[in-house]
Amino acid sequence: MWNRLISIVAAVAAMLAVVPATRGQDAAKPGPVPDISGVWLVAKVQPALFPKGGAPLQPWAEAKFKAADLKTNDPNLACLPEGVPRTMFVPLPMEIFQVPTRVVIIHEGVQVFRQIYMNRQHPKDLDPTYSGDSIGKWEGDTLVVDTIGFNDKTWVDMDGGLPHSDAMHVIERIRRVDHDTLVDEMTIEDPKAYTKPITAQQVYKLKPGWEIQEYVCEENNKYTYQGK
Amino acid sequence: MRNKLLAFPPTAILLLLSISGAAYAHHGFVSWFDMGRSVTVKGTVTSFDWTNPHSYIYFDVKDEKGATQKWSAELGAVAMLARAGWRKDTLKPGDEITLIGNPAKDSKPMMHLDKIVFANGQELATAL
Repeated sequence: MWNRLISIVAAVAAMLAVVPATRGQDAAKPGPVPDISGVWLVAKVQPALFPKGGAPLQPWAEAKFKAADLKTNDPNLACLPEGVPRTMFVPLPMEIFQVPTRVVIIHEGVQVFRQIYMNRQHPKDLDPTYSGDSIGKWEGDTLVVDTIGFNDKTWVDMDGGLPHSDAMHVIERIRRVDHDTLVDEMTIEDPKAYTKPITAQQVYKLKPGWEIQEYVCEENNKYTYQGK
Repeated sequence: MRNKLLAFPPTAILLLLSISGAAYAHHGFVSWFDMGRSVTVKGTVTSFDWTNPHSYIYFDVKDEKGATQKWSAELGAVAMLARAGWRKDTLKPGDEITLIGNPAKDSKPMMHLDKIVFANGQELATAL
């Protein structure tokens, strides 16, 4: 009897540990957090953030922007990760998972994942990466994600060829505006590459019943990447 | 009229294109294909690559003189096609189909596929 009771208590404790969406993130901030979990798909594709030009680029970045070519030096031609924030514009589904210490986004495209840490600050001396280091916090119904620690090998937007430097800082405000709709408001700061911050918005629609599938980009990639 | 249109030559077809809505394209589709135009081609499937990052239909098109030209149509990723109703065995060699898509900008016999029409009239689109 006593052993059975202990087993039940242990089982409940284990369940609470893996049911995060309705639990507080830590003891100091109790209460439920919004549930943004599920499979989401870009609602409307945005090929470029500045389709008519006019991006506030620094001179070197302007030159790199003009040299951007979807046929030759788009990193995507080599099946390289789109990185943050470009991956958020890719019209392939992503699934969001929530656990107490992390929000994890699995992207079908190129099979990459983002980890948004809810319980720590950015580490010092970050190695530059495609997706950077993301930390998050809830502000009411909005997940605020702060990402730094990027390499300079990705484009900012989908097909527009906007460059960035390793100083890029992305702030995202992600909110489920209704049951079927998720909105990511992005602010991209990069004083090395831009004369002022740029902003973007991406809307996603919930895709009930969808599952993230395998996508091996290298399987039959017929494109040739001529970037460095 | 339609049969004549479909009977070739591709260059003539390209001159008679209609405007279609812009479809999304990845891996630089927009730089290879004219996404603002649509072309219709009737052909015989020779092979179907059910692969990532893109799938491909290879098909033969015959002109009025009986000459065959090799064409290819580029589709999207397998998982998205599957969500739109495609399967790995949707096409097999010998199938007679009509393909509607965006032509290559350089007039090569290639297209970005929007949909196919089977011999029985049934249509299957690449988009959801």
